[in-house]
Amino acid sequence: MNRFALHPVARAAALVCAAGSAVAAIPAFAAEPQGSNAAVIRKLENQNETLARTLAEVQQQLQAMKQQLDDMKRQGSSVAEQQKAQGQQVEQAVAQQQRMKTEVAAATQAASQASQQAAVQAARSDVWNRFSLWGYGEVYYLRPTHRSEQTNLDLARAVFGIGYQFDDKTRFNSEYEVEHAVSSADDPGEFEVEQFYVDRKINDAVSGRAGLFLIPAGLLNENHEPTNFYGVQRNFVETLIIPSTWREGGLSVYGTTDSGFDWNVGLTTGMDLSKWDFAPEAPLYNTAQQLINNGVAPLQATHQELALADARRLAQYASLNWRGVPGLTLGGTYFTGGAVPAQPDIGSQRTRLWETHARWQPGRWDLSALYARGSISNTGAANARFPGTANPMPSKFDGWFVQAAYNLWQRDGYRLAPFARWERYDMGAGYEGIAPGFPTTPTGPVPSSTSPTTFDYFAVPRDHVATLGANFYLNPNVVLKFDFQKFRTNTDFTRVDLGLGLQF
Amino acid sequence: MRRQPTASIVIAAAGLLAACGGGGDSNSATPPADAALSPMAEVGKLIFSDTALSVSGRQSCATCHVASHAFSAADGLAVPLGGPSMGQPGLRATPSLKYASYTPAFHFAADGTPTGGFFRDGRASNLAEQAQQPFITSFEMANADAAEVSRRLQGRPYLDQFTAVFGTGVLADPNQTLASMGAALAAFESEDPVFRPFSSKFDAYLKGQATLTPAELAGLQIFNDPSKGNCNACHVSGSVAGVPPLFTDFTYDSVGIPRNWQIAANQAAGGLGYAAKNGIALGGEYAYYDMGLCGPQRTDLATRASLCGAFKVPTLRNVAIKQNYFHNGVFDNLNDVVSWYVTRDTAPGRWYLKADGSVDIAYNDLPPKFDSGINIAEAPYNPGLAPMLTGDEINLIVVFLCTLTDGYDAGNPQAYGTQAQCLQANAAASH
Amino acid sequence: MLPRSPASRACFVCAAAVPALVSASAFATTYLSAAQAEQALFPDATAFVAKPLALTPEQSRAIAAQAQTPLQTAFWKVFAATSNGRVLGYVITDSVIGKFDLIDYAVGVAPDGTIRGVEILAYREAHGGEVRTPAWRSQFVGKNAKAPLSVGVDIANISGATLSCTHLTDGIRRIADYATRVLAAGG
Repeated sequence: MNRFALHPVARAAALVCAAGSAVAAIPAFAAEPQGSNAAVIRKLENQNETLARTLAEVQQQLQAMKQQLDDMKRQGSSVAEQQKAQGQQVEQAVAQQQRMKTEVAAATQAASQASQQAAVQAARSDVWNRFSLWGYGEVYYLRPTHRSEQTNLDLARAVFGIGYQFDDKTRFNSEYEVEHAVSSADDPGEFEVEQFYVDRKINDAVSGRAGLFLIPAGLLNENHEPTNFYGVQRNFVETLIIPSTWREGGLSVYGTTDSGFDWNVGLTTGMDLSKWDFAPEAPLYNTAQQLINNGVAPLQATHQELALADARRLAQYASLNWRGVPGLTLGGTYFTGGAVPAQPDIGSQRTRLWETHARWQPGRWDLSALYARGSISNTGAANARFPGTANPMPSKFDGWFVQAAYNLWQRDGYRLAPFARWERYDMGAGYEGIAPGFPTTPTGPVPSSTSPTTFDYFAVPRDHVATLGANFYLNPNVVLKFDFQKFRTNTDFTRVDLGLGLQF
Repeated sequence: MRRQPTASIVIAAAGLLAACGGGGDSNSATPPADAALSPMAEVGKLIFSDTALSVSGRQSCATCHVASHAFSAADGLAVPLGGPSMGQPGLRATPSLKYASYTPAFHFAADGTPTGGFFRDGRASNLAEQAQQPFITSFEMANADAAEVSRRLQGRPYLDQFTAVFGTGVLADPNQTLASMGAALAAFESEDPVFRPFSSKFDAYLKGQATLTPAELAGLQIFNDPSKGNCNACHVSGSVAGVPPLFTDFTYDSVGIPRNWQIAANQAAGGLGYAAKNGIALGGEYAYYDMGLCGPQRTDLATRASLCGAFKVPTLRNVAIKQNYFHNGVFDNLNDVVSWYVTRDTAPGRWYLKADGSVDIAYNDLPPKFDSGINIAEAPYNPGLAPMLTGDEINLIVVFLCTLTDGYDAGNPQAYGTQAQCLQANAAASH
Repeated sequence: MLPRSPASRACFVCAAAVPALVSASAFATTYLSAAQAEQALFPDATAFVAKPLALTPEQSRAIAAQAQTPLQTAFWKVFAATSNGRVLGYVITDSVIGKFDLIDYAVGVAPDGTIRGVEILAYREAHGGEVRTPAWRSQFVGKNAKAPLSVGVDIANISGATLSCTHLTDGIRRIADYATRVLAAGG
């Protein structure tokens, strides 16, 4: 476009120069002599014509230039317009860019929010991951063979546990139990908190616990789920002498060594001997089931279960188990503590329990044995306040059992394991403060509270029991149980039992 | 009737004091021997023996509640005589006032068992309330109303002592006067150690200061054995909350006591004017039945048929020196009492007699429709079956009960247990 | 059977005084890395070469049938332990659920499928940490797929940790069968 513009200008300039030189040539010509005026006029007329023509050309050229200039102007204005349009486009592009930026920003924010939400969701699902829920339950069918009118089917316990893992080192565990299905003032059941504690890993070797937790005594107390023991109900030694499920409140510290020693020491609440019923009017139990359920044994009747427990007199325990060889457990526990005395002014009383146990599982066999012995001090002064009553407080109580079980058949999850157990419990191995000649258990018949013409007897608080039965596991978590228990002394307690146990 | 504030505060305080004492005061099980009485108790002590407060001029609290007989009757009668001329027989035997301050106020326990209260039917909720009643009972001190009592009081020489404690304002309102007198008596019975010495041979044994003889120990064992005497079930022989055994759980029981034809209220002909003729309406054979909790002396539980025939379990402390037993005084010796418990249902014809001595229906002191409330399920009741105790065992229980009399002196054991029935029982036990 | 004599009780006390204390009742604890486990199982190996896990459906079914549990290979990683190009054996790492949490472990097998050792890499359950003791793990050493490798038969249970024991044993049993059926056969 510029070249085109130059061209007419240059041509116009050349023409002007040509015209100018033509005009400049005229005076040179006028200086010649008058010889031929006609020739001069003709020459002048020619030159005029030439000038006129040249002028016309110049005018034409100017015209053309003017037009071209107009064109250029027009083009220039269109260029300006184009530029304006371009500018507008640029503006639009910039605006679009801004929009895109905003969109991107919004998208980024949305994405980050989404990721934050996802993180929160993840954290919440992580919270759910930190929760654990477990439980177990037992149903018993118990039929005394000589007193079949006392046959009983009972949802003995429904237990659920809730745990929460706060972090790598801190964990909360709790277990809640409903016994006998319906718990209310008028019903036989009970709802209780069985465990409630925080477990903290102090270092790689040592952990600690605070709250309400199980005392590590015996083979069954800490592993009391129905899939963990043989027999429909728990064995008598670990119910009456070691009061499973035995829990106390306090602090404990425990750990394991490389060589397989598990140690556990604790400071807990003790017993409340003022809960002892010295003078029951009716027998405290009439069947083996009531013997287990009615809380009549020395430590069963007096443990506090952290229910507004007296804590001025505390107890301590130490437990040691060796599991250095797979399948072999050897161990024992010693528990000793001050107790709330049976009567306010008889002085102080102390309860002690020690036990030792062994379990060996070579191949298909599962062999176990346990001995437990407890004592209460200063019972003489307490019993002297209630001379001749039906239920004096014993100063010694003990028991032992030996048991053998065999994995007869195992396939997929099924397992059939028959077992046999021989045990002895003695809730009154020794008494103090009994006047000579007084029996420690009434011997005569007592009218039953249910009807005046039936009679109960106070059962003898010691016996030998032979148990024969089998556990049939549908899978490691569900077990059907059967056993037959023969009582040597309280023969009315002999019974046949079926049980369902489950754990999850 | 509006009471003046000061007096009502004092009365309330006294009532509280009595109630405290009556609620099983665990802080002072055995009282210090030389505790001085408060001025209110001193006034009460004076009122307690003041016969001038009665219409007859011959009766005070101490007339029936004789100190030497554990503050119960010494006249050998099943029911005391009283009234304006001391000729009117009462309706029930005099209970002992000893250890009465440990009785809680009347209430129904959580399981519905009636517990506590004063009089044999618990109709007075505290000692002060109970102490007021004899003043205005027509066959006892026989004042017509509180105003008459107040008038008599105002003629007494110790009136200044009285007003020093209660103020003169109480005299303006006879009800307040009487209430104050009751409060004073309650204070006396609660504070004076003579009402709760815990000085029996059994107490000494529990403290390790005496030994029981083999017969006494055997009796205690039978007393406590739920398959034998089972007396412990109601007559609690163990200490509760640090208080030595009181031999009662303050509950009520309907045990079907035989009708006592010795008391005028039960006489077939005429009976007593002040003994409500409730019997025929209740379907009973006789005109008057004393049914304890459900009436007729107590009126607020008249509709509770299950409580008819129930009387309060009394303490067995000092039981050996009481002259008659049960609310109607039907027995006069412990051997009969225990034998009746044991053979009530195995030999009812021995105990339930008509006025002429012939055999009556069982539980003849209760309209038959209330027989279902009678306690038959606990030992030693034993319907239709053999007695749960032999005669020797019954005797041994009596021997043991003879150790519950206050006043045992370890330095002079021979002076103890000299009541006729105790000597007899001990002699029988040593064969 | 019961250690009643005072002398044997004194031994317990002595042994308990041994300072090496390791917690078995821990949680969320990693004990060994995979590399450490490999080294422990094959100390002579110079290199551990990852081996792709290529199981045909028939092989998978056969392993599951033999082990009597469903086959779970989601966590399996197989490494050949080599020394100068020669294969000394294989290390298979795996994870199984105990009761609530994963147990990471590694099994070392000889070229013929015999178990050389078991190492626990991470144990997170609150109970049953005894699986980490050398004594418990040594029950597997020298056994192959022909052994029952079953809790209550030839592997001791740990009271209170039955599920952990059982699942761990199941996992080792599956690996043992895989080792015999596939690795020993040259697969």
